[in-house]
Amino acid sequence: MNRRKLLSLLGMSPALLAGAQMEAQQPKAAKSGKVAAAENAQFEALNPKGSPPPVKLIPMAPRLDSVHGKTIYLVDTGFMSGGVLLQQMQIWFNKNYPDVTVVFRKKAGSYMEDDPPLWKEIKEKGNAAIMAIGH
Amino acid sequence: MGIPAAPIVTIAFKDLAQTNCAKRGMPLQRISYTPHPVWGKTDEQMYAYLEGNDPVHNVPLMKEIVESLTRPLTADEMKTGTVTPPVGAPTFTDTADNLQQYFLDNGMTDTMPIIIPTQERVDAMLRATSHKLDEVVGKMTPAQGAFPAWSFTVQQCAVNAVMAGALPEYFPTILAIASTGISALFSSTNSLVSAAVINGPIRDKLTMNYGIGAMGPFNQPNATIGRAWTLMSRNLDGGGICGETYMGSQGNVINYSNLIIPENEKDSPWPPFHVQKGFKPEESVISFFFGFCITQGQGGKGLGVKPVPLYNVAMSANVAPFASLFGALFLLDPLVANGLGDLGFKTKDSVVDWLQKNTTVTVKDVKSMLFSGLPRGPEAANLKDDDVIPKWQKSDAFNLVVVGGQTNPYHQLANMSYRVSVSIDKWT
Repeated sequence: MNRRKLLSLLGMSPALLAGAQMEAQQPKAAKSGKVAAAENAQFEALNPKGSPPPVKLIPMAPRLDSVHGKTIYLVDTGFMSGGVLLQQMQIWFNKNYPDVTVVFRKKAGSYMEDDPPLWKEIKEKGNAAIMAIGH
Repeated sequence: MGIPAAPIVTIAFKDLAQTNCAKRGMPLQRISYTPHPVWGKTDEQMYAYLEGNDPVHNVPLMKEIVESLTRPLTADEMKTGTVTPPVGAPTFTDTADNLQQYFLDNGMTDTMPIIIPTQERVDAMLRATSHKLDEVVGKMTPAQGAFPAWSFTVQQCAVNAVMAGALPEYFPTILAIASTGISALFSSTNSLVSAAVINGPIRDKLTMNYGIGAMGPFNQPNATIGRAWTLMSRNLDGGGICGETYMGSQGNVINYSNLIIPENEKDSPWPPFHVQKGFKPEESVISFFFGFCITQGQGGKGLGVKPVPLYNVAMSANVAPFASLFGALFLLDPLVANGLGDLGFKTKDSVVDWLQKNTTVTVKDVKSMLFSGLPRGPEAANLKDDDVIPKWQKSDAFNLVVVGGQTNPYHQLANMSYRVSVSIDKWT
C-alpha cells in the first residue's frame, strides 16, 4: 500500500507528502538607520471606545433612626440560594430584634426583570428593605 | 423606592456590584458582602455567615446591615447632578510599539496584537459603506437589564474593524453585527458564547470559507469579522472586563473570535437558513445565536451503524444532555444533511419534528433540572411526575445549518438559541 493511500485511509490529507524543509531564518544584521527611524515614527490612533450614557446621581433615601418596631422586607432576587440566606436572616431578626416585623418576598420574574408591584408594596407597607443576590 | 435599602452580594461580585451601583448613579451605595458561594450551603452554614464578618469590610455582617439602614447619610451620599464617565481622548499619538502597549494596557484589545487604527485606515474602512461616519449605529450592553447601554457610531465601529485586521469590504457585515446591539461577550457566570450564521452572496464576494475547515482559523473574513465582533463587544459597551463585565467563571476560548458560520448553501439539500427566516436567496443576511458552548458529534450513538449511519439517532443522542434553557443549533456537514434525506427526512421540519419527539423527559426530571423549566399554560397544571413531555416545548428551539467540506459525515452542535436575522446589504 502506498503512503498516499495509507494516509487517505487514516483520514489524513495526502498533501502531507508534499512537505518540504523550511528554510532557516537568517539572523538580521544590526538595525539600519531606516529601521530605527521607522521604529521611532509617530502614529495617531483613533479611540475605539463607544459612548457611555451620562450617569444621573441618585441621592440615597434618608435612613431610619432605628430598626426597632419597624417593618423590614427581605427581597430574594432569584439567584441561587439568596432566598435561603434571607430565610436565615428572618430567623436572626426574630432572635435579635423581636420587635421588628420581617416580611420575606421573592421578586417576580427572572433576575433581569423589574417588579414594580413589589416595590410599590414595600414603599407602602415597609420601612426598609434588604435585598440579597445569591450565587 | 424612597425608603432605605441594604443590598447584599457574595464577595465574588464585589467589583461588579460597586461599579454597577456607580453606573446607575449610586457610587457610594452601602453594599454588604457574604463569603462566596452561598449556593449549596446548609441552613446552619448560612446562619454562621450572618453571625460572622463581612469579608470585605471585616466587621460583623448583621451589625453592618442594620447600621446601613440607620447611620445618617453623608453629604456625598445625598449628591445629585450628572456625571459623564470618561473614555479617554479621541486620539492617541505615539510610536507603533507604544500604541500597541497603550491599547493593551487600557483593555482595548483581546490581548493579541492589533492593527493600529490610524485615520487613513479608518477612512478606508468608512469608504466601504454609504453610511455617514457620525451615524449612530445602535446601543450595546454587556448584559441587558444589568448594565446601561452605550451608543456608538459608524466610525467607532470602523476603528474596531481596523484593529481586528478586517479588510474594508468586510465592513458592511461588521456594521450589520453592530446594528443588532448584540454583545458577543454576554456577561454571565456561565461563560456563554455567541455565533453568527452568514447567508447569501456576501459569502462568495468576501471569499468566506464554508467548506473544509470553515469554522477553523484559516480564512481572513471568517476570522476577522468574528474578532471585530469581540473587539466591538469590549470597546463599544465597556464589556470584557474580568470580574466586572466578563463574569464567566472559567471563560470561553470561543470569545476570541466567536463562531462565524457561513452556510454551505450550494451543497445543502435544504433552502438556506436566511430563506427559512423570510429573506430572499439573493439577500445577504447574518443570523445570531447565543448560549452554552459547542461540542462535536463524533462517537455519538448511531454513527458507524450498518448499513447506513443513523444521523438522526446520533443527533438526538448528542443533544439529549443539553439544558432546555437554550435551544439546539446543529451544524451539519453536507454529507449528514444529504444523508438525512436518504433516510427519509426530506425537509428540515421533518428532522426537527423527529428530534423533538425523541428528546423527551419526565416531568419529574424537569423538576430536578437547574436550567430547564416546566411548560406553562392550563395543561401544565394537570401534569404528573411520570408524564413524558418534550424536553424542548417549541420546535423552533431546534435549528439546522449546513457547513463543512464533506471530508467526513460529522456534525457539531451547540446548546444555543436563535435570536435574530438582519440584512447585511442595508449596510453597504
